[in-house]
Amino acid sequence: MSGDHNTDDSGPAARVKALEALLTEKGLIDPAAIDAIVDTYETRVGPRNGARVVAKAWTDLTYRKRLLADATSAVAELGFAGPEGGHLVAVENTDRVHNLVVCTLCSCYPWPVLGLPPVWYKSFAYRSRAVSDPRGVLQDFGLELPRDAEVRVWDSSAEIRYLVIPQRPKGTARMSEDELATIVTRDSMVGVAKVEAPRA
Amino acid sequence: MSDAALDKLIDAARLDPDHVFSAPWEARAFAIALQLSGSGHFTWDEFRDRLIAEVRESDRIRARDGTSDHGEYYDHFLHALEKLLEEKGIVDVF
Repeated sequence: MSGDHNTDDSGPAARVKALEALLTEKGLIDPAAIDAIVDTYETRVGPRNGARVVAKAWTDLTYRKRLLADATSAVAELGFAGPEGGHLVAVENTDRVHNLVVCTLCSCYPWPVLGLPPVWYKSFAYRSRAVSDPRGVLQDFGLELPRDAEVRVWDSSAEIRYLVIPQRPKGTARMSEDELATIVTRDSMVGVAKVEAPRA
Repeated sequence: MSDAALDKLIDAARLDPDHVFSAPWEARAFAIALQLSGSGHFTWDEFRDRLIAEVRESDRIRARDGTSDHGEYYDHFLHALEKLLEEKGIVDVF
């Protein structure tokens, strides 16, 4: 999706290239380490981690309690920790309460369990409307909630990040924890979608 | 009430749910910032403060002009990184 405007010298692609060359020359960064970080965040750290946390919370009541009491420790039990992973709070959706996560300031997001945030999460439209019109935002995502359901909006910050535990869909009683992890989506853990049972 | 700009970004995410960077330079800029903070040239909090300032300025202009954004987050990210490196005397980018 890189536009033509990125090809001239003042475009961001050229500026990053120049910056990387300069920092490498000064010995401040290592291009191989840069490659490794890119690979990590493009392919290894992502919402599959959070999906495993949710699947475990659905199938193991004591784990669910630990997750709600201290999410940072509970996700570390599964090996998920790292930058932007501290001060994690898990909030659970119920029939009556739906949780929605935003970062109105910029882009705070729990990297170890969800990876890097999607483009829409960082957009002005989402950040400004998630607080002022959460139901409208949810409708944009195709999610209609019952009128009597309460919508709780959680504004992330450097101090605290949120993971939504979506409701386990009906018709999944026979699924194993591993199978359940495959149906939990990133959007459901930010609170802009529900988890759907797989079609039989 | 629907928001056309948000709808477009949601549609793009549906087509490619795993995509977190829109162009290779965004990934490089992110990784450079993370490596420099990891090796102690600045803290991530220091970087985040600059990023928030860039985003806030852009929000202010959008609110004033009634315009939408289309995913320019990494432009703000790169500006924040350049300014911080300049402030710290790490490189002279301007």
